[in-house]
Amino acid sequence: MKEFLTYLVTGITLGASFALIGSGFVVVHRVTRIVNFAQGSFAIIAAMMAASLLRGRLPHGLAEAAAVLVCGVVGAVVGWVALGRRGTHPLISLIVTLGLSMLVSAAIILLWGQDPVSPPGLRGHVTLLGVDVERQRLLVLLVTLLAFAAVALFFSRTYLGKALTASASNPYAARLVGIDVRRMGLLAFALAGVLGGLAGVLVAPSNALSFSSDLALALSGFAAAVFGGLSSPGRTLVGGLVLGVAGQLTAGYLNGSYQTEVALLLMLLIMIARSRTFVAEEAK
Amino acid sequence: MTRRPSTLLVVVAAVAACIAPLVLSDQTFFVHTVLAAVVVSGLSMLMGYAGQASLGQGAFVAVGALTVALGTTRWGLPPLVVLLLAPLVAGMFATVVGRPLLRLQGHYLAFGTLALLLMVQTAMSSIDALGGAYGVSGIPAFGVGGWTVTDQRPYAYLALACLAVVLWSSARIVDSRFGRAMRALSGSETAAESAGVPVGWTKVGVFALSAAFAGLAGAVTAFFTPYVSADSFPPLESFTYVIMAVVGGLGTIWGGVVGAVVVSVLLQALNTVSSQPGLPPTAAPIIQYAAYGTVLIIALLFLPRGIVPSVGSLRLRRPQGSPA
Amino acid sequence: MLRIDDLVVRYGAAVALDGVSLHLDAGEMVALVGPNGAGKSTLLNAVSGLVPAASGSVTCEGRIAQVPEGRQMFPDMTVEDNLVLGGWSIRNRDLSEVLDLLPDLVRLRKAKAGRLSGGQQQMVAIGRALMAKPDLLAIDELSLGLAPLVVAELAEHLRFLNRDRGTAILLVEQEVSLAFDLCPRTCVLEAGRVVAAGPSAELAESEAVRRAYFGDLGVAGELRADTEVPA
Repeated sequence: MKEFLTYLVTGITLGASFALIGSGFVVVHRVTRIVNFAQGSFAIIAAMMAASLLRGRLPHGLAEAAAVLVCGVVGAVVGWVALGRRGTHPLISLIVTLGLSMLVSAAIILLWGQDPVSPPGLRGHVTLLGVDVERQRLLVLLVTLLAFAAVALFFSRTYLGKALTASASNPYAARLVGIDVRRMGLLAFALAGVLGGLAGVLVAPSNALSFSSDLALALSGFAAAVFGGLSSPGRTLVGGLVLGVAGQLTAGYLNGSYQTEVALLLMLLIMIARSRTFVAEEAK
Repeated sequence: MTRRPSTLLVVVAAVAACIAPLVLSDQTFFVHTVLAAVVVSGLSMLMGYAGQASLGQGAFVAVGALTVALGTTRWGLPPLVVLLLAPLVAGMFATVVGRPLLRLQGHYLAFGTLALLLMVQTAMSSIDALGGAYGVSGIPAFGVGGWTVTDQRPYAYLALACLAVVLWSSARIVDSRFGRAMRALSGSETAAESAGVPVGWTKVGVFALSAAFAGLAGAVTAFFTPYVSADSFPPLESFTYVIMAVVGGLGTIWGGVVGAVVVSVLLQALNTVSSQPGLPPTAAPIIQYAAYGTVLIIALLFLPRGIVPSVGSLRLRRPQGSPA
Repeated sequence: MLRIDDLVVRYGAAVALDGVSLHLDAGEMVALVGPNGAGKSTLLNAVSGLVPAASGSVTCEGRIAQVPEGRQMFPDMTVEDNLVLGGWSIRNRDLSEVLDLLPDLVRLRKAKAGRLSGGQQQMVAIGRALMAKPDLLAIDELSLGLAPLVVAELAEHLRFLNRDRGTAILLVEQEVSLAFDLCPRTCVLEAGRVVAAGPSAELAESEAVRRAYFGDLGVAGELRADTEVPA
């Protein structure tokens, strides 16, 4: 029982980080219909930058916040290229973001080298349900929940958030009422940068990240977002948690190398099972 | 849609390709470029006609390579048999996974194929019957009957022969009944459906065809290397195929070849530059990633139809003086 | 307040508007009628700045808001959010004025716009346009697909708006009798050109216009909602 609880708790904290990256996919896809392959890269940039800033004696909190904000700017730049000219097909934009993620990899190696980086985080453990949990992992869960609440409130309660939702809901009508849909797309990318960056600074203390982690991060985030049809933040959170727990249970009871396998298989199954709804959504 | 290049151009290219192995001292780059062209020819069809991007074409290269590796080392099959078997196995594998996978579209299929590649990789590295952690080594040299390949050069010609077969069959297929169905897909799927085209099966067909080409390339790679493991098929290589397909021009027979050659030469040149003495060891990966990214973005945003169609329409346009 | 001079709009090779001139005074109500594909919607979109002019000019002193064809709701958002977004260009989030004007919307505030009836949606569309406090309201197909009673009510709101607030109205309308009835002046568009313009009463008497638009229909006032399918 204790074993199970350990897997459950670590799975939930791990899944929270998937969900956080997944929320970046959702925010961008909702507004622009683009799937942003560079979503995982934001996390790495933030982790590397936070580590550098912390070494430069910037206090905790400030260093992480600065790194996350820089990721917001990087996100907007990625969006600026990915949105391309008007009428660029979303699938072409996906491949453009693939190219961008490669450019980001080049930049990361140039600035920080090829070695994995793990900035210091919260130290120590707490006991939860009789299970020892790293404080840092609990922080991931807590910040993820807060971030999701903030995103939900932003979209439903603020004027700007409503304009973003409107751009996704009916771009023509949005332009009609004077909303600059392209600028909203850039804003969505910037927000995705912030969310990805947040995931990076939170995950890196427990799991070191290197320039080549982008693919794994992007895939786990995308898998979580698939649960929400790439448009629902709430179901993305659930998806992330399910994937995290399923992965930990597989690793614990079966074999560690099947962990990603299970996540990918789950993702494929959900995608195929819901393919009809997806086609309808894409056609909208 | 498929504009035929002038016969002269094809003859010149073919002669150059046949002479190149005689001049080159190391065939590795040449073989890899030609085999990439084989994979990209199939991918270009899939992307150009079925309008679906595969980010995991390496999965089928892996299946082809694995067929050769296991067929020769475990079951003692003759090299020629496994070479012919490899595209069949890859095509069959694609048919089986393609049925559910191709219900996905666009982004979902792109990620689905990438997931397939990663799962194939994990399967290869964790199941001992498929090579396991150490991979399959000791693959015998290629040979037919009593003749066995002893140096690199014959592999260059073997690869060229495969490319010739792939290009020839692509041209035949595009003009066939199946080809017409395939071309109908590139317009609107709904329209194709109402015109009586079996959309689902046609897509699976194109998918399987592209996988068979990839499997053939994988087979030659396995003989050439001669070692096959999960790490032989990194996702980056599959992304490179997409870059080559896009750069060359989707849905054209020669686009795959042009894209593979242009991108390979470019990367090789940059590789040479970045391995100059005096540069830091990180220069190579930096330049490599930067080149991939830049080529892809520039190609997509400024040459969205690829080199072959763009050049083709230029050539047609000039003498007539009016847009085609 | 609105001056359209010699306006040409092209979609690729096709000419949608071919030298259209039209002037509107402040507080005026003008109807724009004509067959399908005459360029009425294009003219409205050019006025709203959504389509660029190939040549000629559109100048407007004051704000323009459009009630688009097909009503173009944000379907998964509430009526309230739809309205609030209408004021985006001037950051107007105060609903009270519009709710005073269109009191029916008060009880629909929390409903999802996509779930409403056509008439309710049209009212939301008008309300959303009014949130921008326009000096000119450009309406594309007011009556399309709506029941006569609903149309009459909407028309009444527009009359009040024009009388009370002095809002100018440019109305594209398939239903010619409604157009003539509501707007003192009418402009007839055909194949991208103005073929007739003047007081609605005179045009209604004109043989050419009668034949073209009342033709087989006979009874004025009957709805012709089935003649055009929204794009």
